[in-house]
Amino acid sequence: MSIELIIFICMLATFALSIFLFKMPAGVSLMLAAVVGALIGGEGLPVRHLVEGGFGFLEAILIISTAMIFMRVMQETGALAGVSRGILRLFYRQPTLLIIVITVFVMFPGMLTGLSSTCILTTGALVAPILINIGMQRLAVGALIAMAAVFGEVAPPISIPVMIIGGGVDMPYIGFGIPLLLVSLPPALITALYFRYRYLPDYNVDRVKEYLDSTDGEKYGVILYLPIVFVILYMIGEIRFHEYVPHLGVPLIFIIGTILGLLTRKGVKIIDVSRKALRSAMPVMAILVGVGMFLQILALTGVRGYLAVTALGLPEGIRYLAAGLMPFMGSAYGSASIIGVPLVYVFIGKSTLVVTAVLVLMAALGDLMPPPALLCAYSSQIIEEKNHFRILKTCLIPIAISMTIGILILVFAQEISNLIL
Amino acid sequence: MIRNHLSTIIIFLVTAAAGVIAAISFGKMHHPEELYPSTFLTKKGMLSDYFDGIKGTNGDTEVYLFDSGVEGGTALLGGGTHANEAASFLASVVILENLKVTQGRVIIIPRMNNSAFTCSDPMEGFPEYFGIPTDNGTRTFRLGSRVTNPLDQWPDPLVFAQYPSNQQLSGFETRNLNRAYPGRPDGNLTEKVAYAIIQLIDKENVNIAFDLHESSPEVPIVNVIVYHEKYEDIAMGAVLGLEMAGLQFSPETSPKNFHGLSHREWGDFTNAVPFLMETSNPSMGRLRGKTDVDLVLRGYCDNYKKAKETGALRIAYREDTGEPIEHRVGRHIMGFKELINSYNYYYPENQIVIENLPDYDLMMENGVGKYLNN
Repeated sequence: MSIELIIFICMLATFALSIFLFKMPAGVSLMLAAVVGALIGGEGLPVRHLVEGGFGFLEAILIISTAMIFMRVMQETGALAGVSRGILRLFYRQPTLLIIVITVFVMFPGMLTGLSSTCILTTGALVAPILINIGMQRLAVGALIAMAAVFGEVAPPISIPVMIIGGGVDMPYIGFGIPLLLVSLPPALITALYFRYRYLPDYNVDRVKEYLDSTDGEKYGVILYLPIVFVILYMIGEIRFHEYVPHLGVPLIFIIGTILGLLTRKGVKIIDVSRKALRSAMPVMAILVGVGMFLQILALTGVRGYLAVTALGLPEGIRYLAAGLMPFMGSAYGSASIIGVPLVYVFIGKSTLVVTAVLVLMAALGDLMPPPALLCAYSSQIIEEKNHFRILKTCLIPIAISMTIGILILVFAQEISNLIL
Repeated sequence: MIRNHLSTIIIFLVTAAAGVIAAISFGKMHHPEELYPSTFLTKKGMLSDYFDGIKGTNGDTEVYLFDSGVEGGTALLGGGTHANEAASFLASVVILENLKVTQGRVIIIPRMNNSAFTCSDPMEGFPEYFGIPTDNGTRTFRLGSRVTNPLDQWPDPLVFAQYPSNQQLSGFETRNLNRAYPGRPDGNLTEKVAYAIIQLIDKENVNIAFDLHESSPEVPIVNVIVYHEKYEDIAMGAVLGLEMAGLQFSPETSPKNFHGLSHREWGDFTNAVPFLMETSNPSMGRLRGKTDVDLVLRGYCDNYKKAKETGALRIAYREDTGEPIEHRVGRHIMGFKELINSYNYYYPENQIVIENLPDYDLMMENGVGKYLNN
């Protein structure tokens, strides 16, 4: 057995033991795994490497923290609630379209932040009462929100798992828009239709109208939505009209959006809101620091190269099986870094953009899976369900459908790329 | 009270200790190693002499001039555009420390992107330094980053729109000097450095310019001379000369629609004849094994042998010998000499005559350290 394989097994074992046995957070477990890998690899305690790797995702961490504060402020000002009521008022006569729009609405914060939990904690929390009040079962509501959060994490413009894989294989984050839409929108639409026809067969338009009329709250006019419009337009403007729009960077755009949000409505306690936002994002930020350290040690000890070279020699059938195992890592970011990076090499010869997009979908499904089953746990809090594994059980069919779509796209990645890119 | 916060205190102390240790390590990266030019050096200046917009920044860098005093052409040699490419920097240092010019002038910039020498590439696990044994001990050199230090230029945009082509690249590339040409005086630091280099080429009437690089063995553009389409004859002449010396270089035309690169923009925006050379460096590859100084210097890696055997990729790697530093530095020096010879053939009115540089065979026999001063 090669030393690289021994190091890798020890790192994975440390990660698993830390999570399962010692109930440590995933981020801390990744850091411990990195330290163990360095020790076994004969590097001692390489402080410079650990710190350097820990800073690998600094930009993503800044984006997540500022985006989370922004979304929380939007929640407090009532902008998100206003949008969700608006959606319901627009589409309540067409329930199928309504569920599809709600699914995309829940995905929205994840698309902007690359963070699945944001979807559940912000837009998910807003649409849950609506879905329950229009007659959908509680468990199904939790499951739909959790699934939408997965697709939001995958969908463009910001997909952190892609950045994690890209960081591991030296691939720029460019040209992923269409591939990510391809692997996120069709499964999201099918999931929406599945929940519509399985869990909302007896939709009553009159009852929904009554609910709408009873929940019309205070109105602040369109100015409430100014921060959301600003953030979206500025991000697009920076890319499309860079000659005229000064480059601020995504974190600063979110900070300006937050300040605008505070100006649109008085009484929002920014310190409290920021504290709550950062507290909910902290586990994910810790994972990103841990993933950076983990990747640095994989490169330093030669494990990364070993995995890549081994993967190059694998028979084709086993390669697809490995991709199908990605969701069972229990964490999107962990899965992306540990299996996603070598799998990109495995599928060299097919379109790297499409392959990476599929791998990101597979990895993102991991956020639903135990041991942490993070999204199911968040979702269960929203719908007040004590056993979050019941939500996971309700998600099983959409998960299977999404994985099937993913594997099919992977098999025909090059052909699909020739058609769409 | 203390017991309640014990874990917080421990985590804080461990993090602070790690931060201090790392900060010391990163702080040292800001102190460049001393270089010892040959006695034939006539002038040492700074890049900011050609564009003061970079004065006082980490983008400013030393410019060394060898003037023979005899009328002829002017050559520019740039190393360290990407500070993680060891042989690119080292080849320019060897030339700097040995060169004698008997006709025309040669300008050398060993650290083209000086800022990139002050940082590292996260998640790559590269060593900070590598040592070359010499007759007088070991000379230590920095192994830096591919791009400008984010402390000097941050944040990156989501999408980098190259100036003036408007070509879109990933945000990270906004700090890549070899995507920034021709640069602009009011741009970001990398664009300003690129602009300063263009100013130097113009003001010094540079006739022929070299940009030395290294790349991963699995990358298609490796062991090549990339030339601007206007100067194909010179490239072909040099490739032939190198072939006769037993060295194979693939001639590659600079893509017309890939902007920001030296071999494209120096040719389009100045009167210089530009060439870019790449050697194969396994320590930069994604398939590499343990990342350490030995890999940087010996360039031997079993992973590349195995990867080559799978046949899945085209890999420029010599299974028996690897790609040692003296081989890579030797190739660059030979490429520099042969391209100048070929230039002299086509432009006899602008002769540049250089001496005192080691041949490839001597470099392989004696090692790089033999040709370093001090």
